[in-house]
Amino acid sequence: MIEGPMPKNEGAWQPWPFSAQAVSAAAAALLLVAPVSEARAQEPIKIGVLLPLSGNFAVPGQQTLAGLKMYFDEVGNKAGGIPLEILVEDTQTKPDVAVAKARKLVERDGAQVLTGVVGSGESFAINDYSRQNKVPLVISGDAGQDELTLPGPIANPYLVRVTMSGRTATAAAADWAYKKGWRKAAMIGTDYAGGVDTNFEFARAFCRLGGKVIQAQWPAFGTADFGPYLPAVDRSADALFVFEPGADGLRFLRQYVDFGLQGKMPVFDIWGTIVFEPNLTQTGDAALGMYSSEFYTPLLKTPENERFVAEFRKRMNGELPEHEAPNGYVGAHAIVDAIAAVKGDFSDKTKFMAALKAVHFPSPKGEIKLDKYGMAIQSMFIREVQKVDGSLGNVPIATYRDVDQFWPFTEAEYESYQLDYTHGKDAVTDCSKLLAKK
Amino acid sequence: MIWLIHILNGVAYGMLLFLLAAGLSLIYGLMKILNLTHGSFYLVGGYLGLTVVRATGSFALGLVVAALAVALVGAAIERFFLRRFHLEELPQALLTFGFLFIFADLSLWVWGGDAQMLAVPGPFARSLSVGSFAYPVYRLFLIAVGLAIATLLWWFQEHTRLGTMLRAGVDDAEIARGLGINVSFLFTLVFALGAALAALGGVLAGPVLSLYPGADLDTLILAFVVVIVGGLGSLRGALAGSLLVGILDDFGKAFFPQFALFTVFVPMAVILVARPSGLFGRR
Repeated sequence: MIEGPMPKNEGAWQPWPFSAQAVSAAAAALLLVAPVSEARAQEPIKIGVLLPLSGNFAVPGQQTLAGLKMYFDEVGNKAGGIPLEILVEDTQTKPDVAVAKARKLVERDGAQVLTGVVGSGESFAINDYSRQNKVPLVISGDAGQDELTLPGPIANPYLVRVTMSGRTATAAAADWAYKKGWRKAAMIGTDYAGGVDTNFEFARAFCRLGGKVIQAQWPAFGTADFGPYLPAVDRSADALFVFEPGADGLRFLRQYVDFGLQGKMPVFDIWGTIVFEPNLTQTGDAALGMYSSEFYTPLLKTPENERFVAEFRKRMNGELPEHEAPNGYVGAHAIVDAIAAVKGDFSDKTKFMAALKAVHFPSPKGEIKLDKYGMAIQSMFIREVQKVDGSLGNVPIATYRDVDQFWPFTEAEYESYQLDYTHGKDAVTDCSKLLAKK
Repeated sequence: MIWLIHILNGVAYGMLLFLLAAGLSLIYGLMKILNLTHGSFYLVGGYLGLTVVRATGSFALGLVVAALAVALVGAAIERFFLRRFHLEELPQALLTFGFLFIFADLSLWVWGGDAQMLAVPGPFARSLSVGSFAYPVYRLFLIAVGLAIATLLWWFQEHTRLGTMLRAGVDDAEIARGLGINVSFLFTLVFALGAALAALGGVLAGPVLSLYPGADLDTLILAFVVVIVGGLGSLRGALAGSLLVGILDDFGKAFFPQFALFTVFVPMAVILVARPSGLFGRR
């Protein structure tokens, strides 16, 4: 283009030989003639990823992102031949930032689908945004609050969750514990929503089978010193069930050995936050023999998983994936399959959501499908910490397939109970209260 | 028997708190600076110790390197930044708060977001049998170290020339200068010493509390509780405050678990109402 001083507009400067009217007539004719859907197919479909990449949940955020990227790269960033554009935004582990970024992705950048979501605060905030603005949301991060995929005031027809719901690991733990012959359980759980939810659901599932929780201790979130709690554990229990996330889990692991509990009774780590892979490398043999329940372990011997782990290690300097990575991978897989099924047409959101809920495929964490509320139906694994090739790892020792969010109850039975975890903390040692119906 | 465990635990936790609080109290008492970077000195010191221990296997070397490195950083902060706002409490507090954020981000960048645990040094990595329970020897070591450091600090303050000059500088800086005491150099020295104490606290507490993003703020809050209870600027106060808070916290959590989040703050609340200057505080 020739750059230079524009001539003064004396008598309508015409850059083209055609008049303005001719140009607009031609443009109108072109618009009428060009098939609209073909024009759309050339534009990439934008997928908005909302993850905490800084702040307290930076590590799960980064892992989820790695998994998401792995799948999108594997399919060449295309869904059914339609190009995809992945836009990533950092929620900084803050709900208000999460909503602001969600708005930016959808309203300014044109994202058609949102995914990611780790922290509980941000999950409720983004869920609200998705429901109010009818934006499809595929939760591929750790946000495990049961309410998100249950009928109720915040139920969202535009939400699908491929990752987990709080109670599924506890149900598997209770079942396996009972089959092992354990009848009396001592419990330690962090005193916050996640901890109470987990241990309450375990207590109820265990009671239903015929077991009983004989002692429950609730250290505060961020407890540095488990001295007040560990020596007080009831030694007559058959096993100790623990839920301690994050740094608390690491400290618990060290102090459980320090206070002489190792070898005195079996320990079951519901959700595997203590026998978390980065913790295992820092505490010597402290975790040897600990059991845990989770929907994944990097040591799963399936062709999908072995391929996944090998590729992950190549990208991440030899690190083993934790469960966030296969979750991201599965989330991306679901999005791609759904977009391919509707051929990139987002004009009918309900059709897209139906396509999402109909996905069904094998994955590194096992077979994945979704229930009518959009919650994943997947496998649960019982793992034991054993020495594998000289270092400690979570070896799968039992599998439960087709675990949905109500297992082992039916939906009707689950909803017939009177207490839920928000009012049930003090009832965990009382089976009659736990199993009381409405 | 469980009582003995609780008492031992309370004292051990108290000694840990003393290590965390001594530096803060010293700096405020002698320089009237509210050093909010104290938390960062703890965390960065701990992380540095972790790196040295993982590289060389020597806990002692980790302690030395952490203390020296953080002392240098502290001295630099005092000399080039804090000194410009001499006796202006708010600007100094804001400045140290700013450094807290900077160090927090730097540590996240260098050492990552996962919680890291320092390995307990070899000779202390076992537990003593106490009846049907076991008690970790490392915590007994912490009690010993805490007492040793408290004694050293007391001796330094009361029985050395340097300590005397420090106390003079605190009482009345102008007169002290008039007597030929280099008060500016003393202030830098004290700040560096306070920083070194915090770093030592980080390495020593590493095997018990672990190191993680956010530990700087958690530690700062605990140190403040101790210093408010014991009285700002008093070594005796820091020791008394930390033991009191440690023991009350342990018993509180064990027997009143529903108040577990408050047990650390109850003594502080009581002191603020009954005796605001703290148990042994002046001013």
